[in-house]
Amino acid sequence: MENWESEVERNWENTPAPDPGPEADQPDPGGGKARKEASDGRDLYLNIRVLVIMMTAFVLMFTFVARIIVVSGPSMLDTLHNGDLILVWSLGYSPKQGDIVVVTQESYQEDSIVKRVIATEGQTVDINYDTDTVYVDGTPLKEDYTKERMQIPTYGEGLNHVTVPEGCIFVMGDNRNHSADSRFPGIGIVDTRCVIGKGIAVMFPFHRWKGL
Amino acid sequence: MDSIVKRLSGRYSWLLFALAAAFVCAALRRWQLASAFEEATGLPIPGAPASVILTCVLMMAAAWFLILAVHQPLSNRPWTPSQAHRWDLIFLDAGDPVYPILVVLAAFLALGAVPFLLRTGLAQWQVYREAKAALEQGFDAQLPTNNGMLAMATAAGSLLSFLGLLQMGRDGLRPGRRGRGGFSAALPGTAGCVWLMESFRGHAANPVQWDYAPLLLAIVCGMLFYMDFAGMSTSAARPRRLLWMAAMTLVLSAAAIVSALAEHTLADLLLLFAQTLTAAAVLWRLPPNLEKPPTINGLPFPMPHGDLTL
Repeated sequence: MENWESEVERNWENTPAPDPGPEADQPDPGGGKARKEASDGRDLYLNIRVLVIMMTAFVLMFTFVARIIVVSGPSMLDTLHNGDLILVWSLGYSPKQGDIVVVTQESYQEDSIVKRVIATEGQTVDINYDTDTVYVDGTPLKEDYTKERMQIPTYGEGLNHVTVPEGCIFVMGDNRNHSADSRFPGIGIVDTRCVIGKGIAVMFPFHRWKGL
Repeated sequence: MDSIVKRLSGRYSWLLFALAAAFVCAALRRWQLASAFEEATGLPIPGAPASVILTCVLMMAAAWFLILAVHQPLSNRPWTPSQAHRWDLIFLDAGDPVYPILVVLAAFLALGAVPFLLRTGLAQWQVYREAKAALEQGFDAQLPTNNGMLAMATAAGSLLSFLGLLQMGRDGLRPGRRGRGGFSAALPGTAGCVWLMESFRGHAANPVQWDYAPLLLAIVCGMLFYMDFAGMSTSAARPRRLLWMAAMTLVLSAAAIVSALAEHTLADLLLLFAQTLTAAAVLWRLPPNLEKPPTINGLPFPMPHGDLTL
């Protein structure tokens, strides 16, 4: 009985392939029940396939196109709050001055950080703590997004006069007094290849929904 | 003799090209890992030849397999009264042990990944619990964003994959009672969802897409391949697409295996090898069977409800 070699045979030459006409045209000795089972199998398969395709689309989109990042810490107050979910655009993005970006500087920490781009390659940044002013190429920035008056950080003035090298950006948090950013030597100038993308909107909580 | 050559020609062309492309992609990935990233930072070197060539080869392989799939000889779909037009038992060939051996081996590789994933998940859960306890007691601690649940869910998924693959191997030797050969492939297909999420989670903060894109693409291709495999036992079968998916799964998995070897991620390595073997088994068995579906006593399929009288 178990000798399948003799039981299973290929009819290469003699038996023509069955005609693939519509199912309704074929005899149905199995009855409606059997046909229903075949249909149920198809439906089940299609449902599972939809689930898998949705998951695939979800992960591919959040890998190559956009991501949702959770803001951790107070460094971007009052623009972003701890725990906010922000939508980040990655596809074909190159950083511009004023953008809110998500970067991963592994020399500082493995998780990503959210900051604002102050200067891009070739620009010179000067920070004057006495006047609470950031100059880029000698021009003072109008920063209505900062939380409070800037004070000298506990680690000293850090990087307060620097020309941004090619392929790099200078980033700072909006909450200048509670932000580890490019001023902090442990982070420093950020390579643009470390940028995950640009924050484009706060997604959650809904009452703080806004474009960035 | 002529019929034998004809029977094997499709099989050999698929396997030959898929294995060649897989070998080339693995070699290119190895070259890329050695030359396309800065040593100090691990950041990608823009326009590195290895990255450009690997991308081109992958795209050329995808196009070539598409051409092969379009030209794959295909007989009319077999028909039986109860099962409508389905490619049930299309992986059946009792005289050929290659398919069941490869698939059963793949099943045990998936099973082998379970302890590694469980160990990782439990370790992450332990760290998470300790950090949470420290926070509750007022100590300064950072709560890890990964609590290990996804790794443990992936372990459970790998166990399901083992069962599904085992059934798939069995279906290659003898038809299942209900003649649903192939549908069990939905188990590793859906388990791939969790594996994909776990892998994505592990690289969510990594700005270097080349670090994880090969792995994610290999998992995605493997999931879709398994789902097309499962679809062969329904009337929604797409045999040509299944062949394309199998070939691309083999190619992408080869590139991802090189990464997994470099990163010493054993669980990924075992799961990638599992889907590689299954894809190779499909490329071995499917092309000749699509051209000439196997028959049992002159019938394309067993009688309804497993009443197989031989």
